[in-house]
Amino acid sequence: MAQVTFLVKLIMRGSSKKVITKEDWEKRLNDVKIRKEDMNKLVMNFLVTEGFVDAAEKFRKESGTEPDIDLSTITDRMAVKKAVQCGNVEDAIEKVNDLNPEILDTNPQLFFHLQQQRLIELIRNGKVEEALEFAQEELAPRGEENQSFLEELERTVALLAFEDVSNCPVGDLLDMSQRLKTASEVNAAILTSQSHEKDPKLPSLLKMLVWAQNQLDEKAIYPRIKDLSTAKLEDPSAS
Amino acid sequence: MNNSSGSNHDCISNSNSNSTSSRVNSNSAGRCAADRRDLGSHFLALARLGSARPPGPADEGEESPTELNTINSSGGFLVVSTDKLSVKYTNVDLHGHDVGVVQANRPAPVRRLAYYFEIEVKHAGAKGHIGIGFTSENFKMRRQPGWEPNSCGYHGDDGLLYRGHGKGEAFGPTYTARDKVGAGINYATQEFFFTKNKAIVGTVYKDVKGPLFPTISVHSQNEEIVVNFGQEPFAFDIKAYEAQERLRQQATIEKISLPPNISYGIVRSYLLHYGYEDTLRSFDMASKSTIPPISLDQENGFEEQEILYALNQRKILRQLIRNGEIDAAFSKLRDCYPQVVQDEKSATCFLLHCQKFIELVRVGALEEAIKYGRVELSRFFVMADFEDLVQDCVSLLAFEHPKESFAGYLLEESQREVVADTVNAMILATNPNAKEFQGCLHSYLERLLRQLTACCLERRSLNGDQGEAFHLHRVLNNSNATR
Repeated sequence: MAQVTFLVKLIMRGSSKKVITKEDWEKRLNDVKIRKEDMNKLVMNFLVTEGFVDAAEKFRKESGTEPDIDLSTITDRMAVKKAVQCGNVEDAIEKVNDLNPEILDTNPQLFFHLQQQRLIELIRNGKVEEALEFAQEELAPRGEENQSFLEELERTVALLAFEDVSNCPVGDLLDMSQRLKTASEVNAAILTSQSHEKDPKLPSLLKMLVWAQNQLDEKAIYPRIKDLSTAKLEDPSAS
Repeated sequence: MNNSSGSNHDCISNSNSNSTSSRVNSNSAGRCAADRRDLGSHFLALARLGSARPPGPADEGEESPTELNTINSSGGFLVVSTDKLSVKYTNVDLHGHDVGVVQANRPAPVRRLAYYFEIEVKHAGAKGHIGIGFTSENFKMRRQPGWEPNSCGYHGDDGLLYRGHGKGEAFGPTYTARDKVGAGINYATQEFFFTKNKAIVGTVYKDVKGPLFPTISVHSQNEEIVVNFGQEPFAFDIKAYEAQERLRQQATIEKISLPPNISYGIVRSYLLHYGYEDTLRSFDMASKSTIPPISLDQENGFEEQEILYALNQRKILRQLIRNGEIDAAFSKLRDCYPQVVQDEKSATCFLLHCQKFIELVRVGALEEAIKYGRVELSRFFVMADFEDLVQDCVSLLAFEHPKESFAGYLLEESQREVVADTVNAMILATNPNAKEFQGCLHSYLERLLRQLTACCLERRSLNGDQGEAFHLHRVLNNSNATR
């Protein structure tokens, strides 16, 4: 009965789209064979790229999946990331250079952002004089080379002009999100230097699913998965 | 008929007593048995998958053009060389209906991102009236590609593009002797593209439907061209072109935003589903100490109650099977989940017995393996569902180096994993609160990946089968795909 009213609804709408019932769609889904080892690789790739080193080690043992990167390098990378997240930028820079000095040498933008973060931390800690000195000696010469660096520098130094930084227009620089942004930039640069992709594949595949469903919507009516977190098929005849 | 409850009923029928479920339960005994069979056959199919080679970068069984079609060419005006890869105009051209035109032996394959072929002009002849392009099957074989409907061609003498009639449009440079010129179809953008000496000349919307044949033409005395269907390296870097095209698609897809922490949730549910308990504990510990901590609260919608079921038992059984300790796995199952191994002819028992046999072969205990096979495997020989797998198992005995034989896949780690996954699913199915049978069978991750694959396939089939299919295996093994 539900099917009939569904079809009537479609005819009323004058839709020319192909209609695929839940039953037919489930048959198609059953024809798709996903290899377990491929799913395991996908999960391993996520653990490794996101830096879950212990979990990656356990997963290797429990599933027999080999990681696509030397697990020991994850620990170093996560230490750098954490240092930035906690505001220990000087420490982070040192650690990056220990890992591979080329990373900062070949990434002037990353190096500038790290130095900028260092300046932000000095200002946060009320070390005004030290901050000014650091800005003049380390950051200003780079601003002369590059217009966008200069603008960033001006924005950051502007923090010093406000008594109450929580209410000033550049206050967002003091947010946690700024540290996270810088941390993820360093993380990506280290991964790239290790010939590894900087992003895990899983989120890209999830986006691809959303995209593929949107594309198919133009041509067909079929059971979609609306909520990725439950992976539940919606019944097109129920709507 | 009520179809909607088909996949949504209780597997264990004694857990509910309200009125809606009793209606479902009236036939649930039959359904339950059927579902168990489904579950078993699902894993048998996975066990067989091990013997199939993973999909490579192959073109899904479609054949590509390899040479020129000498039967359907405008005979009399041109001569095709004996290797069927070059043509020469030997006549004197008098009018527009004595073009020397020739198609490839096959149409351009469509189940891929792009198709491409090239020509090299050896001699420009009297006038250089050379053309390259695509034509449909019943093209008039005395005309330049592009002059007639359902065709498209890029011409050397004027550099114009012709699409379906005799009047060309401004397109690119002219080409002549020693130039390498290519024609391609981009199925993702539905465009023809042409190249000259390694560089793209231009693209144009492909308004022709149906199979398209690579086509080349000569139309003045002594014009001679050689065609390259890929038997030689192309001048144009088609691999780079494809990579760029994928990046362009990827960039569009990356703009889509996802709910926060959705990937964490899906990975976590995967670990729970398959009983990777140690990994899960480490994952949870680390998630708490990240900055900011990742919290997956109820509002994210993850339903984990069902896959939490018997987590530790499932982990232990997985470990036993992965270590090849099948006897221990059997006895633990008999103790804790007797219903899983009750039916000696079930797929679960079959896979466990096979694995035990395989483990004996692995350690070289062949006599013991034979004895075990006689007792435990022989009954499966007469059952159609199991026959091929039993035979593969037994044939391991015939080889001095079974690992290198065609049945060597049985000795892979992945085979143990399949058996462990079967037992895992069967235990999940004993949960009296299991709402959905699908939940025992497929993790959220697998369901999402199946949906993704099915959507891509359906979209392609509604698009005249044109374009690339989605293969997880290929995505994972192409590490530059997302860079």
